[in-house]
Amino acid sequence: MAVARPVLKITGLHKRYDQLEVIGNLSLEVRKGEVLVVIGPSGCGKSTLLRCINGLETIQGGDIELNGQSIIVGHTRWNLVRQQIGMVFQSYDLFPHMTVLENILLGPMKAQGRERAEATKEAEAFLDRVGLLDRKDSFPRQLSGGQKQRVAIVRALCMNPEIMLFDEVTASLDPEMVREVLDVILGLAEQGMTMLIVTHEMAFARAVADKIVFMDQGSIVESAPPDIFFQNPVSDRARKFLNIFQFEGVKKEERHND
Amino acid sequence: MESAISIFLEGRNLARLMEGVWITLKISAASVLLSVVFGLLVGLLMISRKPALQAATRFYLEAIRVMPILVLLYMFYYLPDKNWGLHFEAQTVAIGVFTLWGTAEMADLVRGALTSMPAHQRESGRAIGLTEGQVNRYIIIPQAVRRLIPGVINLTTRMIKTTPFIYFISVPELLKVGQQIVEISGMKNNMASFWVYGFIFFLYFLMCYPISCFSAYLEKKWQN
Amino acid sequence: MIKSMKQMAVITLALALGLALGLAWAAPAALAAGELDKIKAAGKIRIGVYSDKPPFGYVDANGVNQGYDVYLAKRLAKDLLGDESKVEFVLVEAANRMEVLESNKVDLVLANFTVTADRAKQVDFCKPYMKVALGVVSPAKAPITDVAQLKGQTLIVNKGTTAEIYFAKNHPEVTLSKYDQNTEAFNALRDGRGVALAHDNTLVFAWINENPGFVAGIDFLGDLDSIAPAVKKGNNELLEWVNNEIVTLGQENFFHKDYEATLRPVYGDTIDPETVVIEGGVLK
Repeated sequence: MAVARPVLKITGLHKRYDQLEVIGNLSLEVRKGEVLVVIGPSGCGKSTLLRCINGLETIQGGDIELNGQSIIVGHTRWNLVRQQIGMVFQSYDLFPHMTVLENILLGPMKAQGRERAEATKEAEAFLDRVGLLDRKDSFPRQLSGGQKQRVAIVRALCMNPEIMLFDEVTASLDPEMVREVLDVILGLAEQGMTMLIVTHEMAFARAVADKIVFMDQGSIVESAPPDIFFQNPVSDRARKFLNIFQFEGVKKEERHND
Repeated sequence: MESAISIFLEGRNLARLMEGVWITLKISAASVLLSVVFGLLVGLLMISRKPALQAATRFYLEAIRVMPILVLLYMFYYLPDKNWGLHFEAQTVAIGVFTLWGTAEMADLVRGALTSMPAHQRESGRAIGLTEGQVNRYIIIPQAVRRLIPGVINLTTRMIKTTPFIYFISVPELLKVGQQIVEISGMKNNMASFWVYGFIFFLYFLMCYPISCFSAYLEKKWQN
Repeated sequence: MIKSMKQMAVITLALALGLALGLAWAAPAALAAGELDKIKAAGKIRIGVYSDKPPFGYVDANGVNQGYDVYLAKRLAKDLLGDESKVEFVLVEAANRMEVLESNKVDLVLANFTVTADRAKQVDFCKPYMKVALGVVSPAKAPITDVAQLKGQTLIVNKGTTAEIYFAKNHPEVTLSKYDQNTEAFNALRDGRGVALAHDNTLVFAWINENPGFVAGIDFLGDLDSIAPAVKKGNNELLEWVNNEIVTLGQENFFHKDYEATLRPVYGDTIDPETVVIEGGVLK
């Protein structure tokens, strides 16, 4: 891949809750069309990182640039910044009092001031792509978890963001629904969407990522292309972390030893 | 049955009962309206992060809750006149006291509706680029209103059912008028209390039932 | 938005408080003028009466105040202000008879107010215009005319009434059967669940008039209680005026006329007015 311009650039980020440092001096870049997957043990600060990027958390140091513009220095109008950043949460968080279509149209119409007809056309096209066009007039409670999460993704996409942030979007789903959501994200990757993904699905991470970023205790321990990272992690901590997912393999080895 | 009808046809009895209904409705409606307005404001104060405001509103709510309506009526009708020569119209005091009580209940409902809202609702509204005002208008308030409606309906019917207490400040509401009629008819007609209270029961039902129906309608509409 | 709404709330509350204080400030201080002059200046006397206690104070089917107390109230208005319509009736309850006086909601209470030492600490009673004692009602076929006849028998009373207290204290040999409601108690008498029923004689008289077959075998028993108008504690001017009025009215046998107009239709002709009426404020 040719070197593209960075869409997101984080330099020396610090995030503290009172005295507790959650992220310390973290820097990373996501280039246009690049898919970055952040993995790491629980509490390593990866979700907080995403929340800092779209201003749901204040930061105590460092800078975040979106398309070369700092969104930290000076007076940030977060609502305008967030229109360029699509974020999908673990718990979908659709608006329960609105239909699927209304959920999707709220941002384009109210935040971006777009025409209903035009926004509806786009929303329906996206819904069709994720296989939910026939559910556009349903209410969130009538949908399964996987369906809700696909709607949440469409809701973010419809803002035509520069970058999509995914925060453990399959963590609350029943196993049989995980796939349908991951397939949607894989589809986006194929189409060149710039994405920063936090996940625990290692196989998916390997398949979708251009680069894996391994975080522990609030900082990046190592980052590498997926094949290299998963086969030859450099750091001890990454190896230990990956071993957790290798439990099945250990048993097979024992059997061979018999 | 004939004797029952004669009770209501005698003199202005029926008209007097209707005047009682009017007083009951007037006082409840005014109190509920004011309670909703003030309750929203006080409710927002209750979720304030300022400890002093929280403590003050909490104290207000608890104080009003433990105070029987009769005591409140006494405090605002008899006490000011007794101590400072201040006289307020009895019906004004009734509306004031019911509003004081309704505001406390309403504020607690508002607080409950807002704090029970998952924080993520606000965040996902922000995440699609809405301003704080838009988040409140399109996401928080519509959901809060839906959560509030059953409580408001409940408060309204409770208000209507609590109006008989204003006999204590000499306001002849429906139930008192009923008692007056029963007492003068009771000597001649053993069934007077049965018919009069039966009719009053029916009138209370007529006042409360449409409100319950409206509530059920809204719930169904929002449930779809 | 939330912030500005909170500010609005604070401002609204502050305004409401300010308004309330302002009203308090603007309220005229009580005039130092004489109480009678104040009533005359107002052009009406405010009298607290019952609205649901026939035949003493009640509202008739046309919504007009009537009764023994109301008859007197109208006469007081006539003599003080020259017109019996210059009275404003304020409906009172047993529960707020004291409060309406203490807080100036009325000038006078005429609500079948029994004089007791406790009450006299909070309000001032005028001379009495009526008396009440206990009456014992029994079936005409087996009349009870003497308390001695009740020995070992069941007597029906209402809980908490003077009748219950009197018999429990003075006649432990009588078995008491106690009820909460008046109607329950009288029904028990009809059903023969007791040989007789004891209650205020004024109530007993009214009941037997509607229920032939029963008599007030004993029409006057126990401690005699007097019923009097009450004024706010310290309102001596009005107290004296009412006392003089009661004496003067006695000279024209006013309270017997009151009895004829309001109580006889309810009590019938068998009752002696002297068991109820006090003339000229003198309790005999």
